[in-house]
Amino acid sequence: MRWFLALTLWCALAVSAGAQDAREVRLGFLALENDPRFDEDFAYARIALRPQGDTVTGVELAIEDMKILTDARGFEVVLDEASVAEDALVAEAERMISEGAAFLIVDLPAPQVRAVATAVGDRATVLNTTAPEDDLRRACIPGLLHTGASDRMISDALVQHLARQKWTSALVLRGKSDRDRARADAFIEAAERLRIDVVATREFDLSTNPALREENNIMLVTGGLRDYSVIFIADDFGEYSRYVEYQSALPRPVIGAAGLVAQEWSWALERYGAPQVNSRFEDMSEDGRRMNWQDWSTWAAGRAVLTAYAKTREDSVGAVNDYIRSHRLSLDGSKGVPMTFRSWNGQLRMPILLTTSNAVIDIAPIEGFLHQSNTLDSLGQDEAEFTCE
Amino acid sequence: MKRSLFAAVVAAGLALGPAQAKDTGLVFVSNEKSHEVWVLDAEFNVVKQIETSRRPRDMKFNDAQTLLYVACGDDDVIDVIDVETLEVVDQIPTGPSPEVFAFSPDESRMYVSNEEDSMLEVIDMESRIVVHDVPTGAEPEGVIQTADGSTVYVTSEVADMIHVVDPEAGVVTDNIIVGTRPRRFVLTPDTNELWVSAELSSEIYIIDRATNEVKDVLEFLPPGFRPEDVTPVGMALTEDGDTGIISLGRANHIAIIDARTKELEDYVLVGNRAWSVALNRDESVAVVANGLSDDITLVDMESRRPIRSIPVGRVPHTVVIDD
Repeated sequence: MRWFLALTLWCALAVSAGAQDAREVRLGFLALENDPRFDEDFAYARIALRPQGDTVTGVELAIEDMKILTDARGFEVVLDEASVAEDALVAEAERMISEGAAFLIVDLPAPQVRAVATAVGDRATVLNTTAPEDDLRRACIPGLLHTGASDRMISDALVQHLARQKWTSALVLRGKSDRDRARADAFIEAAERLRIDVVATREFDLSTNPALREENNIMLVTGGLRDYSVIFIADDFGEYSRYVEYQSALPRPVIGAAGLVAQEWSWALERYGAPQVNSRFEDMSEDGRRMNWQDWSTWAAGRAVLTAYAKTREDSVGAVNDYIRSHRLSLDGSKGVPMTFRSWNGQLRMPILLTTSNAVIDIAPIEGFLHQSNTLDSLGQDEAEFTCE
Repeated sequence: MKRSLFAAVVAAGLALGPAQAKDTGLVFVSNEKSHEVWVLDAEFNVVKQIETSRRPRDMKFNDAQTLLYVACGDDDVIDVIDVETLEVVDQIPTGPSPEVFAFSPDESRMYVSNEEDSMLEVIDMESRIVVHDVPTGAEPEGVIQTADGSTVYVTSEVADMIHVVDPEAGVVTDNIIVGTRPRRFVLTPDTNELWVSAELSSEIYIIDRATNEVKDVLEFLPPGFRPEDVTPVGMALTEDGDTGIISLGRANHIAIIDARTKELEDYVLVGNRAWSVALNRDESVAVVANGLSDDITLVDMESRRPIRSIPVGRVPHTVVIDD
């Protein structure tokens, strides 16, 4: 039985309302113009495969949410937002830093995150929001933090659910892209750790070419195997996976890219203040659209930076950087637990939601999966198994 | 410190005794997801399930204890229950998603936190007109009014602060930065201290009312739990101000502390995600609402042991007792 009576006044100083002499805090937000990951042209027949609007709304919501606190601490937040072509990204990041931004929130694919973070070095902290690649975590780029979950965290969440349900084997299907390969590899790694048997890994093809029917005919892709409990699909594009349910050779649930999907956020989360976050987001977004995981990641990044600015006693950027990386951050992402960044790879620890199209089935870490220091570290590469590349 | 459960039950039974005529001793439990207020008698037998507007949460009696007000978040009203007939007799419209509220000392005004549009609403009870909309940080929750009527405190769960509101002028006069996701308040009987639960940083902030400065931060850790499991929300103080009870949320315990020295006295195991906590009149039993196991746990304050848990509706939110 332990009992603390801590005089932790570092985060508890009373301040008076109204800004004294308003200090300017510049926050950079950098995205890729015509980001192929959000290309709506893919979604023909007006079916929104990836209903993604502008993720800067997440940062704007964070600024709005924190405004009363930042006002009380006497600073004004200025959002420096840009969406530029790939070859202009580094120059744009440099401009933001030269104009005073010490934190850059980026919504970029992994190679561009790497390029920007490497170029800016220790002159700014880059927060990756939407590139889930574990490679990027293992690159250990100084100053780089991640508020989006890694492929491995997403996979561990799914695999915990399989283990709890005693669904002991999986058929892995993946597309041909690097993204799909990375996600499938992460799933296989996670499955091995919890002894979920991967009966086969197969590549699918979107064509109707009869010569490729072993890859494009769903009965054939999912058949001719010994029994499996679930079908895991890695399909970033989402076109193939939406047809697999109800067409598989065996009547087995689909997880991964369709059916049960593990992600950072869902509009269907009913607890932890999530409905209020969702409705504030819908009020603020361009067309009242729902908050997706990418928006949650940019929102969490904005909140992390502004929380650190508001709660650090000293005003130096160094102190803000120390605070954001410390256990004192205790970030509230409306998922019920305080969140902090992992010291070994800059990844934000977070619960992962296991979602269907309209429900949150469970939230990982699933009850019973324990860890010696923080159960959130049962998701993603743990310190002991992590090495920088 | 093992005591027989039987002895605890007997002790509690004796302590509760028969209720007096006026003070019914009735226990009211609001249930967020089944849209009911459950009523139990002083012996904790279920008497009635009162259907309310959708998502009933915080509840308060009027001073005469003849009416029970229930904030119903999804219908934007405060239902009024007649304590004698146990029927909903009236409704007071509010802004979007009323969560927690308080009355002015003369009951002429009501202060309501509107979770959805980040306002503290000041409603005139007679005319039912909104007198002031005081902007707060996002997701305002806990509301408390001082006995002299001079000050209202309201938490913002998202901005991690306490707003100090002048209810007459309808303005925020001061802000106090506290830990992550501040939820509820209690005032010590001597009115010198305001206690605030910070759910996600697992702390209770003790604020000196004279200066609006944080003077203590309390942390709890029941055996076998991690700091991040400890999500304190509800609090109750005995009338003499000697003992405090703090619900620890997902740590499934309440903490009983010496309210003056802030020393921990006991942890008591209750149900899943313990939130609201209330004491009966003679302070022999604490009633704890468990949001994730859909029950309430009775804790014998003498032996500091749980007596039993009683199933109620879906997602019990608040417990109040008519004493």
